[in-house]
Amino acid sequence: MKQATQSKQYEKINAFLIFFVIVSCQIGVGIHGFQRVIYEEAKQDAWISVVLSFILAHIVVFIMFKTLEKFDGLDIYGIQKEVFGKILGKFLNLLYVIYCTFAFFAVLKNYIEVVNTWVFPYVNARFIAIAILLIVIYAVTGGLRVIVGISFFSFFFLLWIPPVLIFPLYYSNPNFLLPIMEDWAGILRGVYLMSFTIVGFEILNIIYPYIKEKERKNANKYAQIGLLATFFLYITIMLITIMYFSGPQLERVIWATLTIFNIIEFPFVERIEIITICLWLLIVLPNLCLYLWAAYRGVSSIFKIELKKFIWIFASIIFIFTFIIRSRTEINTMNNYFGQISFYVVFVYPFLLYLFASIKKRRRKGTGDSS
Amino acid sequence: MFNKKKKNNKEQITNEQTEMQEPTKHYSKNELKQTLEILSKEEFINLIKEKINSPSDFIIKNVTDEITIVYIDNLIEVKSLTDLTIPTLQNISDPTPQTIKEKLPLAQIDISNKLDILIYELLEGAALIHTKENAEIIIAKISSYQSRGLSAPENESQVIGSQVGFNESLATNISLIRRFVTSPNLCNEKFEVGEDTITSISLIYIKGVASEEQVNTIRQRIESLDVSGLIDSAILAELIDDSSKTVFPQMLLTERPDRFCDGLLSGKIGIMMNGSSMGIVTPVAFIEFFHSKEDQNLRWQIGTMLRLLRLFAMIFSIFLTPIYVAALTYHYEIISQTLIVPLSESRAIVPFPPILEALLLELIIELLREAGSRLPTKVGQTVGIVGGIVIGTAAVEAGITSNILIIFVALSALASFTTPNYVMANIIRFLRFPIIILAGIWGFLGIMLAVCFLLIHLLRLTSLGAPYLAPLYPTRLKDLPNSLIRLPLSIISRQAVNTRKGDEESTKQKDSKKVSE
Repeated sequence: MKQATQSKQYEKINAFLIFFVIVSCQIGVGIHGFQRVIYEEAKQDAWISVVLSFILAHIVVFIMFKTLEKFDGLDIYGIQKEVFGKILGKFLNLLYVIYCTFAFFAVLKNYIEVVNTWVFPYVNARFIAIAILLIVIYAVTGGLRVIVGISFFSFFFLLWIPPVLIFPLYYSNPNFLLPIMEDWAGILRGVYLMSFTIVGFEILNIIYPYIKEKERKNANKYAQIGLLATFFLYITIMLITIMYFSGPQLERVIWATLTIFNIIEFPFVERIEIITICLWLLIVLPNLCLYLWAAYRGVSSIFKIELKKFIWIFASIIFIFTFIIRSRTEINTMNNYFGQISFYVVFVYPFLLYLFASIKKRRRKGTGDSS
Repeated sequence: MFNKKKKNNKEQITNEQTEMQEPTKHYSKNELKQTLEILSKEEFINLIKEKINSPSDFIIKNVTDEITIVYIDNLIEVKSLTDLTIPTLQNISDPTPQTIKEKLPLAQIDISNKLDILIYELLEGAALIHTKENAEIIIAKISSYQSRGLSAPENESQVIGSQVGFNESLATNISLIRRFVTSPNLCNEKFEVGEDTITSISLIYIKGVASEEQVNTIRQRIESLDVSGLIDSAILAELIDDSSKTVFPQMLLTERPDRFCDGLLSGKIGIMMNGSSMGIVTPVAFIEFFHSKEDQNLRWQIGTMLRLLRLFAMIFSIFLTPIYVAALTYHYEIISQTLIVPLSESRAIVPFPPILEALLLELIIELLREAGSRLPTKVGQTVGIVGGIVIGTAAVEAGITSNILIIFVALSALASFTTPNYVMANIIRFLRFPIIILAGIWGFLGIMLAVCFLLIHLLRLTSLGAPYLAPLYPTRLKDLPNSLIRLPLSIISRQAVNTRKGDEESTKQKDSKKVSE
């Protein structure tokens, strides 16, 4: 129960902020080009994959909350220690920290790649990485209150997207959606590939003890509403993309969302995808901050380390990795790996953890009664 | 001068030198060492003279053989001395301190034989009355305050609403506040700060409305101040701020009594200082710097419109020039075709890159503004003409800047003047420069980096422990009707959550425990 006492009162957040955390954490770099990946497998039924993956996500979030409620006041790191014992628990915590680091790196690298491709082809990626890392460090040293604050404000920077999506509707052809439900296996493979885009809500595992005690029972509701909000954004973008592009064309577009934005024109502004990409820094920022913060929570559950020290070590590790992975193919491979890992970490592992946790709880109850 | 030194109380008591320098602190603590014995007239005068380094305005008046008055010229009210004090003293047959105290027709009279108190009161403007064969000295407080009359607040003028502003006298200011808030719960705590200036500071709040915790924090901060002198409340505000590293002020300076009292009523804490016409109101949120008292005096629809207009002007003012620089340096593809023709036409003869052009023009505007504010009003108009016609038109004709940038820079300067708070308006103009440079380096990405940095910075700031960006984040639904917008008075809650005592129930319980203990 140490960790429960560690999360001090002033750092606690209101339950409704979980909505903003979920939305800002889910919407990141995946949204720029998830359509092609899903389309390659599921074809015109890609939108069904989106629906199915979100249904799965709702279930997973429900299970996550069930697990967390069993150990009130503990995050996943504490739970793992409790359920699997100290040594195995710490090992699993380390794996989770590595997962968070990987997620951080994937988000950062993908964002920088988009910037490099669309806006500044000749700016060295490392300088952008340093700038973003410094901003992230400044945010995370401010504590969870600041991080959640960024999530909160970044949500309002997303609100302009749905109305703008009316423009491509003029050029879309609903017939591209037909025939429906051609290939079930493809749709399911699409669900699997969707995980890279949809993950982010696993941050609930770590943020849960920081929700005010009285409001914790509402957190599940807000998390589900948050999932629903991202679902509406993703499904609209997916449907419009399928209707806008013809099949073979979509397979050749890496960042379909940005390509759609390309055609939007206002009386005074054109090519708004350039503005969008720069604006996306604020959308990506909560992703980075929350993953870094989650990694810190994990590391501090393994051994004692100061936040500032850890952040600088973490940032330099990330910076070194930006030297290793550079080309488009490497990033693609990395994304594939991350997608697979995140599928198991986010969609499979919570069920296992729930299973182990309930066995553990029942056994303890049994021993408690006998004694 | 304003270093916050750590004090050691024990040292002070043993050290006679510091004792002499800080008579006020002893005054309150009753730790006085030197008491007077029965002194003759000459001995007394010499002692006092020695203590205050025999200034030329030190006056000695022999009323009778037994009674002597000493005072410092110009600090006392001569009329009450000549008309009331001296005639009364002349008629007293048996001059002991007690009889004089009873008979003198003055409001404030004290008797003391403590040298420190005597010196302090003398310097504050009291006349000291020495009587033969008595150790105790009578302190007749007849000090005169030279202060200008009440006038309309110049920096925070408004059309509808009261037209009175604070002046430099603490007594007048407090009387103004008491006229607005007559409640018996209005607390007025006195502090004296500054080794040399011994400035009176009043901590004003309404008991039961203001948060006890915040009052304690402020009290501690004022008490721990150790400076040689305080001249203005702006300096005091900086000294007791949460964070002095940031450009953003965390305390509101106002010269309007109505605004000050409005703050008190909503649970804020006010600080007034002698010699300064600005009152400090704290804690304040970022949004409140964009409020004017007038918003509340107008109908809510108009008030809302004005507030939104000011916020829009703030964003517009900060980002317009950087966007111009970013778009013309890197992202000309975002400019629509109809717009790019006039833009490129006007920029065709300009020899500089957009960033230099923008920095130059912004600098010119800042120069004009600074020159205008330093010059006397009569000459100030000339600056406007020079700026508008000579620099504006001539710069374009000479091909130094483009027409469109002149419009942008002038508009953003104009927009920055809509901010009702002078301090905040300056910050907004100052913020533009780093953002222009970032826009020149990394285009829109640079602007976004600046936005992210600013957002995080504002999120990290607190004002007296209360979050700076409230009620937006942390979201306080009850306060939202009176933040970005101004809804009808029936909807607006009276007290802001920021200043509410015991936001959480747990702290409430703690408080009650303390009381019971």
